[in-house]
Amino acid sequence: MAQADRRGSAAQKILIGLALLSALGLAAVIVGRILIGGMPAEGLPAEQRTGLLFQVGRLFELGQPSDFLWYGLALLTLGSAAGVAFSRNIIYSAFSLLGAFLGVAAMYVYLGAPFLAVTQVLIYIGGVLVLILFAVMLTSHIRDVKVTNSALGLGPGAVVLLACLGLLTVVAGGTPWKQLPAAPLTDRTADIGTAFLSTYLLPFEIASVILLATLIGAIVIARKDDPADAGGPPSPADGQRTRAEAPSQETR
Amino acid sequence: MNPLANAQNLASLAYFGPETVLTVGVLSLFVLDLVWKRHPKRVVPLTAAMAVVLLASAVALAISPLQPVALFNRMIVSDGLGTFFKWIFLATAAYTAGIVAHSDEIPSERLGEFYALLLAILLGMDLMAVSSDLLMVYLSLELVSMVSYALAGFRKHDSRSTEAALKYVIYGGVASGIMLFGISYLYGLFGTTDLMLLAPKVRAFSGGLFLQTTLGQSPAAQLAMVVAVVFVLAGVGFKMAVAPWHMWCPDVYEGAPTPFTAFLSVGPKAAGFAVAVRFFGVAFTELRGDAFVNTTTVPWPAILGILAAVTMTLGNLTALGQTNLKRLLAYSSIAHAGYLLMGLAAASVLGFQAVLAYLAIYLFMNLGAFLVVTAIAQRTGGETIAEYRGLIKRAPFTAIAFTIFLFSLTGLPPLAGFTGKYLLFAALLERGGGWYVALAVVGAINSAISLYYYARVVKAMVLDKPVTEAKVAMPGTYGFLMLGSVAALFLFGLYWTPLYTVTQAATRSMLRQ
Amino acid sequence: MLHVGLAHFLVVAAALFSLGAFCVITRKNAVGILMGIELILNAANINFVAFEHYSAGGLHGQVFALFVIVLAAAEAAIGLAIVLALFHALRSIDVTRAAELKE
Repeated sequence: MAQADRRGSAAQKILIGLALLSALGLAAVIVGRILIGGMPAEGLPAEQRTGLLFQVGRLFELGQPSDFLWYGLALLTLGSAAGVAFSRNIIYSAFSLLGAFLGVAAMYVYLGAPFLAVTQVLIYIGGVLVLILFAVMLTSHIRDVKVTNSALGLGPGAVVLLACLGLLTVVAGGTPWKQLPAAPLTDRTADIGTAFLSTYLLPFEIASVILLATLIGAIVIARKDDPADAGGPPSPADGQRTRAEAPSQETR
Repeated sequence: MNPLANAQNLASLAYFGPETVLTVGVLSLFVLDLVWKRHPKRVVPLTAAMAVVLLASAVALAISPLQPVALFNRMIVSDGLGTFFKWIFLATAAYTAGIVAHSDEIPSERLGEFYALLLAILLGMDLMAVSSDLLMVYLSLELVSMVSYALAGFRKHDSRSTEAALKYVIYGGVASGIMLFGISYLYGLFGTTDLMLLAPKVRAFSGGLFLQTTLGQSPAAQLAMVVAVVFVLAGVGFKMAVAPWHMWCPDVYEGAPTPFTAFLSVGPKAAGFAVAVRFFGVAFTELRGDAFVNTTTVPWPAILGILAAVTMTLGNLTALGQTNLKRLLAYSSIAHAGYLLMGLAAASVLGFQAVLAYLAIYLFMNLGAFLVVTAIAQRTGGETIAEYRGLIKRAPFTAIAFTIFLFSLTGLPPLAGFTGKYLLFAALLERGGGWYVALAVVGAINSAISLYYYARVVKAMVLDKPVTEAKVAMPGTYGFLMLGSVAALFLFGLYWTPLYTVTQAATRSMLRQ
Repeated sequence: MLHVGLAHFLVVAAALFSLGAFCVITRKNAVGILMGIELILNAANINFVAFEHYSAGGLHGQVFALFVIVLAAAEAAIGLAIVLALFHALRSIDVTRAAELKE
C-alpha cells in the first residue's frame, strides 16, 4: 500500500538522519580533541595545551583560544535555531532543534554547569526531541498531507523578531550587570544534589507531583478508549480510527 | 548536608496541612478510581471520597497556625492572604465537584480521574497563593496549567474539546516561556528570585531612598527592569485572562467540558490575582500608611490601569455580539478580569482588599451562572440564547436564579456584585488624581454596557415564548447550589461588613519581609 | 571584546528567544509551535546559568534551569498527547484548520 510505503520511508529517513547525526557528533568530538586537546579548562595555561587552536591562538594572540570554539558553538546554536524558525519543512525543523539543544548544552559546559549539560542532552535530546520526532512522523505522514508549513503572518513575525532582537540585545549588551571576580571552575554536582534535598526540597517534591499529574493527564488524553467508553458520540474519523491509533501505541 | 535547611523543612510541615491532605487525596483518588473501576454505581463512592478529601483539607486549613511565617527555606509563606485565597479555591473546587457529580459531560467511568486531577489543580492553586519565590510561582503555575490542559481536552470524542486543549497548551506554553525569560532578567538584576529579598534590592536599584547603585543609573538596566516586569506579567496575565493574553479564553471556555469551564473561570483566575497581589505588593512596593507605594521606576500601576481599561472594554464590547452562552460568559469573565485589575492598579490596601472581596463574590455569581448553563445544556442540549427562551415558564426557579446571577455580574444593587464594584471604585476614588478617576469612569461605562448583554439573556428567559412547554427538571444538588449562591449574593449585597473586615485583615497580614 | 563574557551569553539567549518567538508566531503546525516554545525555554535557561556563573554565584540559577528542563519535558509530553488526540479527531494538526471554535 502506497501509504504504508510512505510511512516506512519516513521512518527510514529519520533513522538515516539519526545515524548521520551520531556520526557527525562523533566526528565533532574527534575534531574537537585535535583542535583543543580535551575539555576547555580555564585553569590550564595555554602553553601547556596541545590542541591546534591553542597553538593558532598563541600565534596570533587573539583572546583565549577557547573563545573561538565558543563562537563556533554560538553559530551552531543560533544557526540551528534559525533553521527551526525558518525551515519550511517540519522535519528539517525538528532536526535543526537537535543542533540548538546541543549548542545550548555546550554553553552550559562553558558556564561551569556540566551536570546541567548532561541533563540537557539526556532530557531534551533523549526525551523531548524524540517525542517531537514521533509526533512529526505520526501526524504528518499517516495522511497524505504536505509536510511543509508555509508561514502564517510572516510580516508580523518579522516585526516581532526584529523588535525582540533589538530590544533584548540592547538590554543584554548595554546593562552593566554585576560581575563576580572570576572563580576557578569546580565540580558542584554533589552540591546540587544536596541542595535539591535540603534547600529546594519543596520545589523538588512539587515537581514530582507535577510529573505524576502530567503523566496521568497525558494518558487520559491519549490512551485508547475503554470498551465501556465506546458508546460516546462518534468522532468524525471513527472509520479510520483503528488504523490511525495503531502506531500511536508505539509511543508509549 | 545542610542540617539547618532540613530542620526548617521539618518545622514547616506543621503549616503545610492543607497541601499535604490534597497530595494524599490526589494519590488516593487515583487508587480508588482503579479499585472501583467496575463498580456499577461508582459515582457515589467517588464523590463521597472527593468530599472527604475536600472536607479534610478544609479542616486542616481551619486549624493551621495563623501567624505569618516563611516556610521551606523561604520557598512559600503562610499568611492571612494565602489562607483567604485557599478558602476561595477550596470553595471553587467543592462547587465544581458538585456540578460534575451530576453532569453528563464527564462520563462516570472517568469521574475518578477528573476528581483526582481537579485536586491536583487545587494543590497548584494553593501553592500559587503562598509562593514567595519566583521558582515556586513558576512551578505551581505550571502545575495548574498542565493539569488544566488535560482537563480542557477531557472529552476526547468531542473534537472541540481537544481543540480547546491544543489552543490552551500553545498559549500557556508561550506565556510561561515569556514569564520565565522575565524571571531570568530579574534574577540577573538582583541575584535572587525570593520576592521578599527582592524588595530592598529593588528599592536600592531605583534609588528611591538613600542608596544609589551604578547598576540602577544605567538606562539599559532600567529597560531590563521594564522588560522583566512586563514579561512576568505575561505569564500571570495569561492565568488572569487579561488582554492582550486573553485570546485563549473564549475558545477554551467554549470547548472545555462546561463544569471545568466554570472552574477555569474562577479558580485559576483568582490564583493569577493571588500571584499578582504578592508579586507587586511584596517585591515592588513599600507600605506607607494605606498605600502600596511603587518603589520602582517602572510605572506598573499605570500599566495595570491601562490593561484594566483595555481588558474590560474589549471583553464587554465583544460579549455584545455573542449568542453562545459559554462564549458570552467567557467574554464576561475577561471583562471581570479588567474590573479586578482596577483594584490592583489602585495599589492601596483598599484596592487589594477590593480584589479579594470581589473574587469571593465573583465565585458565587460566576459559578452559579455556569451551573445554570451546564444544567440547561444537559436538559435541552444547547448552549445558545435561543435555548433559554421562555425558561421562566419551564423552570421558574432556575430562571430566577440565573437572572440574579446575571444582574449581580452587572453590579446591580442590592446584589453582591454591587458591593464588589463599589469597593473597587471606592479604592480608585480614594487614591484620587486624574487618571484614577478616568479609570473609574471607564469602569462605570463598561458596567453599563455589560447590562445590555446580560439583560438580553434575561429578556429571552422572561419575555420570549418558549419553544416547548415541557418542564425542565433539575437534580437536587443543583437546586441546592443555586439556592446557596443566591443566598450568598443577597447576604454579601446587604451586609458586607464581615467580608470587608476579613479581606482587610488578609491584605494587612501579607508577609512582606 | 573578543573575549567571551556574560554579555555574549545573554545576546545568544536574546537571539534564541527572538527566534523562538518568531517560530511561535509564524508556524501553523502545532508541533512547530511547540518547538518554538522549547527555544524560548532554552533561552531563559542560558540566562539563568550565565547570571549564576558571572554575577549571582551560588546554585540557584542551575537549580532553576533544572526545574525548567523537567517541566519542559512534561509540557512536551502533554502537548504532544493533545496534538495526537486532535490529529485522530481532525486528521490535521494545522492550528488554523482547527477552527470549529470561532465567533
